[in-house]
Amino acid sequence: MDPFDFFGNHIFRMVFFGTTVIGVAAGALGAFAYLRRQSLISDVIGHAALPGAMLAFIAAVVVFGVDGRSMLLLVVGAVITGTLAAMFANAVSARTKIAIDTAMAISLTTFFGLGMLLLRIIANSPFPGKGGIQDYLFGNAASITRADLTTSIVVGAFALLLMIVFWKEFTLRTFDPVLSTMLGFKARVIDTLMFTTIVIAIVIGVKAVGFVLMVAFIVTPPAAARQWTNTQPGMVMLSAAFGGLGSGLGAYLSISMGNVPTGPVICLVLFAIFLVSLLASPNRSIVVTAMSRVRARKALLREFTPGGGTQ
Amino acid sequence: MPIACETRDLSVAYREDPVLRHVDFRVPEGSVMGIVGPNGAGKSTLIKAMLGLVTPLAGTAEFFGQPLDAVRNRVGYMPQSASVDWDFPTTVLDLAVMGTYGELGWLRRPGKSERARAMAALEQTGMDALASRQIGELSGGQRQRAFLARALAQSPDLYFMDEPFQGIDAKSQQAMMEVLKDLCAVGKTIVIVHHHLGSVLEFCDHVTLLNKSVVAMGPGKEVFTRDNIRKAYDANDGAETFLAAAE
Repeated sequence: MDPFDFFGNHIFRMVFFGTTVIGVAAGALGAFAYLRRQSLISDVIGHAALPGAMLAFIAAVVVFGVDGRSMLLLVVGAVITGTLAAMFANAVSARTKIAIDTAMAISLTTFFGLGMLLLRIIANSPFPGKGGIQDYLFGNAASITRADLTTSIVVGAFALLLMIVFWKEFTLRTFDPVLSTMLGFKARVIDTLMFTTIVIAIVIGVKAVGFVLMVAFIVTPPAAARQWTNTQPGMVMLSAAFGGLGSGLGAYLSISMGNVPTGPVICLVLFAIFLVSLLASPNRSIVVTAMSRVRARKALLREFTPGGGTQ
Repeated sequence: MPIACETRDLSVAYREDPVLRHVDFRVPEGSVMGIVGPNGAGKSTLIKAMLGLVTPLAGTAEFFGQPLDAVRNRVGYMPQSASVDWDFPTTVLDLAVMGTYGELGWLRRPGKSERARAMAALEQTGMDALASRQIGELSGGQRQRAFLARALAQSPDLYFMDEPFQGIDAKSQQAMMEVLKDLCAVGKTIVIVHHHLGSVLEFCDHVTLLNKSVVAMGPGKEVFTRDNIRKAYDANDGAETFLAAAE
């Protein structure tokens, strides 16, 4: 599809800009999650947000009598169960001999299972406005409205602002928590703020991408960006750029290819960026590393074998 | 002489195992206090409990007559071979600048003067030439010097150092010794956990022999005696070799 047709279409424009905004925000915020080694906990939060969103839907319809797909309620519900799941996993690993990966897997599957159950209950019940609720799983980029785009921009900008304002505190806490405490920065305050940015990064994409695949937006761009840069501002900016680029390109491809879901295509594009980064980055390329290792081994062999290592 | 820091009846337990019992630890201002004792004597724990990095079971710690929260910027800490992520995308200069964060407090960002201070600290430890290196590219001794530079950039009056010479090259050790001497000369107080008995008196003017509780504490030459060392080490952990060699 030629770009003129593409951007002349309102829905396509919404899909393109919506996913790009999500990609930029999640990519930038994901860089800190990567450095704090919270990639996996992001996955837990993403999956565990599903039951929260479902409960929020039920509460909205039954208790408040408002539209169950309100973005605000959805975010509140998602934040509550996402946080609970993360806390549960941390508490189990801190108080028992069960390792954190096991605790996270149990937490993730349990909350997600509950979410799937609630999803089916809602689908089978005569709730008003339940159409499209299964899109929370894998998203539906074509359903992005102008209001959703505005919400994404506002919420994403808020999270990015938090990150920029508390840059120094986030960095110190991430790199050296002991020094951070020693210098008098309250760990709980910083952790809460950082957690908030991660949760925002996850829920911001729920309508377009869904909870299940959203983690790719948070984890893949920073992993790719780390290959190319040795400074933290560089990493955050490059990660945001990869996220935005991958999302925009993925959205464009998915629409051009016809009836193809946008989120999964973006995931694959992000993976392609990751793969190129692994292979081609100047200092950390696996190809270059392997080649220099072989060369070094050969030089060693020449040095340590009498015949000059010609076998 | 005024006291730089002291503990009163400090006891620490990890879960149900007591590690320190009733420790009254006192460091005069301007002294270099060596904490010496066998493995598992609670040397690192004493420092960590004083600094609030480990919660004490009982007892208190004061710095310059005040609780830590009131004088945080005057107290620096160099952990034992810092367990940070060495692949973190940060340069040696960025690392040293972190020392100034406490004085900046919340939200204020480091500027020219903070970077200048960090650079001066790197010069002091002989690391200025490596300022723009990624921290992962440093050798063990260089890492330790970079962390010392970070502590210097904070410019505290009281330094806690947990085995700073552990596993580093001779050149780095030399450079760090010079810095410690300079700090002494300008009246800073240093508390240093030290493992190598042979060199304790080379740079510590005060010594605390510790084995779960204080065995002896005071000026180095009075305290670091054969009897006290034997008492602290219960004739284990290589002390016998040291004592035999000293005869």
